[in-house]
Amino acid sequence: MTKIHPTAIVDTGARIHHDVQVGPHVVIEDDVDIDAGTVVMAGSFIARGTRIGKNNRIHMGAVIGHEPQDLAFHSDIHSYVHIGDSNEIREYVTIHKGTKEGSSTHIGNNCFLMGASHVAHNCQIGNHVILANGVLLAGYVDVGEHAFISGMVAVHQFVRIGAFVILSGHSAVNKDIPPFMLAGGRPCAVSAVNLVALRRGDFSPERIEDIKKDFKILFKSELNKSQAIEKLSKEPPNEHRNLLLDFLEKSERGLCIASGLKDRA
Amino acid sequence: MAQIHKTAIVDPRAILGEDVSIGPYSIVKANAVIGDHTCIGSSCVIESGASLGRECVLFTGVIIGSITQDLKYAGKTSFVKIGDRNRIREYVTINLGTEENSETIIGNDNLLMAYVHVGHNSVIYNHSILANGATLAGHVEIENGAVVGGLSALHQFVRIGKQAIVGGCSKVVQDVIPYARADGHPAKLYGLNSIGLNRKNFSLELQALLKKAFKILFRSQLPLSQALSKLKDQYQDTVEVMDVVRFIEKSSRGICR
Repeated sequence: MTKIHPTAIVDTGARIHHDVQVGPHVVIEDDVDIDAGTVVMAGSFIARGTRIGKNNRIHMGAVIGHEPQDLAFHSDIHSYVHIGDSNEIREYVTIHKGTKEGSSTHIGNNCFLMGASHVAHNCQIGNHVILANGVLLAGYVDVGEHAFISGMVAVHQFVRIGAFVILSGHSAVNKDIPPFMLAGGRPCAVSAVNLVALRRGDFSPERIEDIKKDFKILFKSELNKSQAIEKLSKEPPNEHRNLLLDFLEKSERGLCIASGLKDRA
Repeated sequence: MAQIHKTAIVDPRAILGEDVSIGPYSIVKANAVIGDHTCIGSSCVIESGASLGRECVLFTGVIIGSITQDLKYAGKTSFVKIGDRNRIREYVTINLGTEENSETIIGNDNLLMAYVHVGHNSVIYNHSILANGATLAGHVEIENGAVVGGLSALHQFVRIGKQAIVGGCSKVVQDVIPYARADGHPAKLYGLNSIGLNRKNFSLELQALLKKAFKILFRSQLPLSQALSKLKDQYQDTVEVMDVVRFIEKSSRGICR
């Protein structure tokens, strides 16, 4: 039995599973899907074009699927927000839909978006990602699985954050951060491997050593980016090295600097 | 014909223009003014003393005209005046002025992205963009076409010149001159806002001229007063350089360098 509070305003064109709870003063527009077990708490706004999976908890005042903050967008465009399963979306989070016709902003499964964090149009967020309070992701930002972005970090548009990355608080990120790295500051710089996440993620000690080696080739050697990639590609391949190489090859904005080079940046 | 959602609470003394729409659970207080074709989303609050022009769009949870976050505020009547065609995104807060009858002013065609805060007595001219979480303390002034990056904070009384840009996550404690690019914590000047100026169709000749003027200001070792007189002598016919000169002459906090 769907529990919809009598003061909630739910459009008849919204498709809400019977096992969904909708709190007081919630507004849900037409063409919205909300699947079983999801809870939408007081004062939230779910705009048309939003697709929400199972067992999500959407806290007070969250705004999901509203128009992108992009001057190129106009209201005739149909675009979407896709949210997977078991995400925790806290108070006043804003997630905007895609800016081009048919495009979408995508959030995976088991993510934790803390209070007042913002996910702009066309962002792609992997599984198990954590955004702390006030995090600001600009348009088309790509965040790999298990990444952790600390409080008040701003990420420039089109930047990619690799899997298992941790960013320290108040950082301003304008270039890509390769997977498994610890980065932070202003301008943002990579300073180490994110060992805590690797240990928690059950990476074997041998694999962690490999990743440390890759970090040294990328950020602690005199090699430039293409030389470093070449050297990495000659190392014995493994699943994580392949992930790293794939990320590097697709980098369009360029890589984040190494922390030792910060003064030169 | 105004479209007012049945759950909205609109005081009969509020002054609504033609074809205004007001979303669910929004509150419009007495004497608030809302211009023609302006669209107010859900759960917004428009307090007494606030006025909005034509064709503005307010998204969810915007609060306009709440009292200033200034301990000196003594409960006197003051105002927020907002012009036409502004887009004001989720959870933006715009405060009243502190002194009696003073105003916080926003011009026309601005984009205020989510969580932006405009403190008491601030003035935003026209065509500016404030990205998410940009925070303007009291009495801040933002001239035409300026851009403030996400999560940047502007100290009280700071001025941002026309067509200037401030990078994200910056802490701005002094004025940013027109046409310039500032960034950092605290913000420093990094030359001309060339991307912004290209987009606004400033000719390359004019940009080169502004660069030369910046060099006289910041790289010639001249004290500021002498650099300004040199600019006035050499570039008196170039409006844009004179904009910079006048901006600096009016600066009370000093300028970012």
